[in-house]
Amino acid sequence: MSTLQRDAKLVVFLGGRNLVKSMRTPMLIMVSLLQPVIWLLLFSQIFRSLGDTEQFRSLGYHSYLEFLAPGMIVLSVLFSALQSGMATVTDIDTGMMDKLASSPIRRVAILGGRAWADAITMLAQAVIVLVVALAMGARVRTGLPGALLLLVFATLFGLVWASLSNLIALRTRNAELTMVLGLFLTLPVLFLSSAFFPLSLQPQWLQTVAHANPASYVITTGQQLMSTGNSWSQDLRTLVALGVAGLVFVPAAIRAFRSTAH
Amino acid sequence: MRSSPAHRGPAIEVTDLAKVYPGPNVALKDVSFAVKQGEMFGFLGPNGSGKTTTVRILVTLLQMTAGVARVGGYDVAREQDRVREVIGWAGQSIGIDDDLTGAENVALQAMLHGLSHGDAWSRAAEVLDELSLTEVADERAGRLSGGLRRRLDLATALVHRPAVLFLDEPTTGLDPQSRAALWEHLRGLSRNEGTTIFLTTQHLEEADLACDRVAIIDGGHLVTVGTPAALKEDVGEGRLKMVIPDADRARAARVLEACSWVIRVQLGDPLVVYVRDATASLPPLLQRLSEEGIDVAAIEQSQATLNDVFLRYTGRLPRTEAPVSGATSGIFAAAHGRRRR
Repeated sequence: MSTLQRDAKLVVFLGGRNLVKSMRTPMLIMVSLLQPVIWLLLFSQIFRSLGDTEQFRSLGYHSYLEFLAPGMIVLSVLFSALQSGMATVTDIDTGMMDKLASSPIRRVAILGGRAWADAITMLAQAVIVLVVALAMGARVRTGLPGALLLLVFATLFGLVWASLSNLIALRTRNAELTMVLGLFLTLPVLFLSSAFFPLSLQPQWLQTVAHANPASYVITTGQQLMSTGNSWSQDLRTLVALGVAGLVFVPAAIRAFRSTAH
Repeated sequence: MRSSPAHRGPAIEVTDLAKVYPGPNVALKDVSFAVKQGEMFGFLGPNGSGKTTTVRILVTLLQMTAGVARVGGYDVAREQDRVREVIGWAGQSIGIDDDLTGAENVALQAMLHGLSHGDAWSRAAEVLDELSLTEVADERAGRLSGGLRRRLDLATALVHRPAVLFLDEPTTGLDPQSRAALWEHLRGLSRNEGTTIFLTTQHLEEADLACDRVAIIDGGHLVTVGTPAALKEDVGEGRLKMVIPDADRARAARVLEACSWVIRVQLGDPLVVYVRDATASLPPLLQRLSEEGIDVAAIEQSQATLNDVFLRYTGRLPRTEAPVSGATSGIFAAAHGRRRR
């Protein structure tokens, strides 16, 4: 078996371990799902009339529910990312990380296993939030391909954010700090984007800030896929934004992980 | 499957090992020792003496600052993957996953060491049986008692039949019966299967019975290495505890230290006198004290233990932080009640 095959097998295997752990603590998944769903139910009603305004309609959006859904999908993956860092702190605290690190497996397999489990959890949660939105009357105007693209972008963003969460976890080795810092970053990321209000209707300085926020690209793309139609140039911008964020956070998390073993 | 060292030399070979943490805080300095293949080697020392730092370097979890360490013939700093293949390790913090069952935890480690899915599960069942853990194979680890979790951790360290097994305080949290069973199991591994076992412990009486050799580390320095018998002989195999009135005790210590057959006197209440042969030494010692007009209220005669060796080299007993008061008499270094050599 080649090294690559062995690593791939270990990634799936360790990812399976992380998924089994999640399945045995369903309350954790429920909590990270519940908040986006409640926000979706609540805000889609509070701001329902906003979707009926001429200004909003002129941007091509059909309802506030459809506009809000991508932001809530991103919120669900943000919570999953937060839990990823917390799981890493738990592994460090329980000595499990040391056990893995003293096993004859490459570090990349341990990280890959975490990312693999995160990706599946995030994808599943994003699907559930989308299904709830559809059940409430939202539609994805670009059809199944558009819905899949939205889910993929959301999951990729979640993985990038999970790298940041793991970076915090590995540097602080403190569950409370990882939680507090993660939450501290989550809400600004969501509010400094088009999640609740179209970017073009926001003050210029907020639009400028949103351009540095990878979540904003994913949410805007999701809103286009749900309402106004696909834009390849927007898709490309989103991929570039995720790539840049990934280049910042993923290597930093890997470095932090390697230093953990020493 | 059994991982085996690539050479016939020592299973563990450490030369001038040093570890300096930022501060700087010197955790280890010039530590050198070798452990033979199949040997059961006890690494003893007070809290914070450098035991765990040494173990973590040897299991590739910590980088050394200087020196050379080889495990199973492989360089710990340069051939980490090879080292990881031949070792099993159970640390002080139990490295098991509370959300997985006992069998899942053990099978997980087996698969990480390259066993196929089927082999991993059958080997897991085997090792759980060997450690009398079959009944908890399907229980979530988080629901098990501390003692069972520690045994399960040992099972994860043994599942791939390592050539060199590192155990950091393996009996912590175990009841006396479980401790006895664990030592018996470890002795079996060492003698019947040729597994080299490197362990740290504060249960010196158990290390005395189980280990082929022990080393004592204190303040990051290795102070002595040898068989328990040799170390006890060195410290004075015979031990006499004498109850002497406060006013005369210090003078009695000086008188006894001057006797050629006395190896060492530990000033305290009672006064502890180490000699080669307690029975033969007692009459002339009492005679000498009588000549000086010193009354001895009570005497207890016993054999020296590793506790005495530990006390001599570290100035304290295991599980105590403060140096033993009065541990001087030219035997212990004055500053911290310790003597190094």
